[in-house]
Amino acid sequence: MEARSDAALVAQVIAGDGEAFAHLLRRYRDAHLRFATRMLGNRDDADEALQSAFLRAFRSLAKCVEPERFGAWLYRIVVNECRTLAARRAHRERSLVRDPATLGTLAERDDPVGSDALREEIQHALDGLTPEHREAFVLKHVEELSYEEMAEVTGAGVSALKMRVKRACQQLQGLLEEAYHD
Amino acid sequence: MTDRPDPLSETPGERAFLERITPPLKAPETHKAGFEDRVMEIVRAEAPLRYPGARAPWWRRPRTLRLSPLAGLGLAAGFAGLVALGTLATADRFGAGEGRPVAATVDTVHLVRFAISAPEARTVALVGDFNGWTKGGTELSASAVAGVWTITLPLPPGRHQYAFLIDGERWVIDPTAIIVRDDFGTETSVVTVSGARAT
Repeated sequence: MEARSDAALVAQVIAGDGEAFAHLLRRYRDAHLRFATRMLGNRDDADEALQSAFLRAFRSLAKCVEPERFGAWLYRIVVNECRTLAARRAHRERSLVRDPATLGTLAERDDPVGSDALREEIQHALDGLTPEHREAFVLKHVEELSYEEMAEVTGAGVSALKMRVKRACQQLQGLLEEAYHD
Repeated sequence: MTDRPDPLSETPGERAFLERITPPLKAPETHKAGFEDRVMEIVRAEAPLRYPGARAPWWRRPRTLRLSPLAGLGLAAGFAGLVALGTLATADRFGAGEGRPVAATVDTVHLVRFAISAPEARTVALVGDFNGWTKGGTELSASAVAGVWTITLPLPPGRHQYAFLIDGERWVIDPTAIIVRDDFGTETSVVTVSGARAT
């Protein structure tokens, strides 16, 4: 495992060692892929967003004023890339919400928690939220960030984020309640 | 006085719901094959231009020499003054005695100089909204300073997006200029040309 700190690697890249960026890439790519996948609903778009985020980070590395906090800085870029891609995609395909009747069929199955099919159904429900609510929910309950950390990466206030998380939970419950109906 | 419960805190029902739906969402994801290679291929191509090292001489550094917006306005105004003289002379030649307003077209021409240091480049082109983003339409010329390519273009007043295209394929923006994204998510640089008349 690479032992150099983020700050040391950032300094090396800026000093002309482009290969040092590969260590930053490996250090953070997996951590952000799950967030991007939950935000965008599929791995292809998540890969595209992350590729764009890493390249944007590389090109703007000289503007990273706290290289020891590269991870948080990169997280903001990833969040923005996901927002951009989600907005572009929403423009392309207006409807991401599945037919409620289809969603309701979940109640007729008894997949164990953790199965791919169940995750897919939950992901579809997640796709039905607004991007702001989805982002807040994923950061809080999937990535398990504190509200202060969420405020830092999203630029939103803590109160607004709490409200978004609350609304997201309620909407998800509404969308999925039939799936868990005994 | 008793504390009121926070209306935004989770209810027991929500907690139970979250315990059921979050485990599948927390499952790790894996990148598509070749993700690192794709990113690093671009990083390796751009690294020598963006971060050539602190000890490189100034003229080998990749910083774009395009004028900052403020300085650009000054230069644009200066060139506009020269152009205004030409316009006046033309108007005098063709309009003398007819009482035409000679300043009518003065503010339509602003010359802006674009420059970039790209010592290894074989060709450098300017692409932007002013030339329809066409590849070979606006080639820069090698200047008297080694490695520096320049071009001077007449631009109408307004905000223009542009980028440099090195060797016909490498997209380079100016990291010190205002950077925006187009509708496709591509980064471009921005230059603003003043609409003030050089009269």
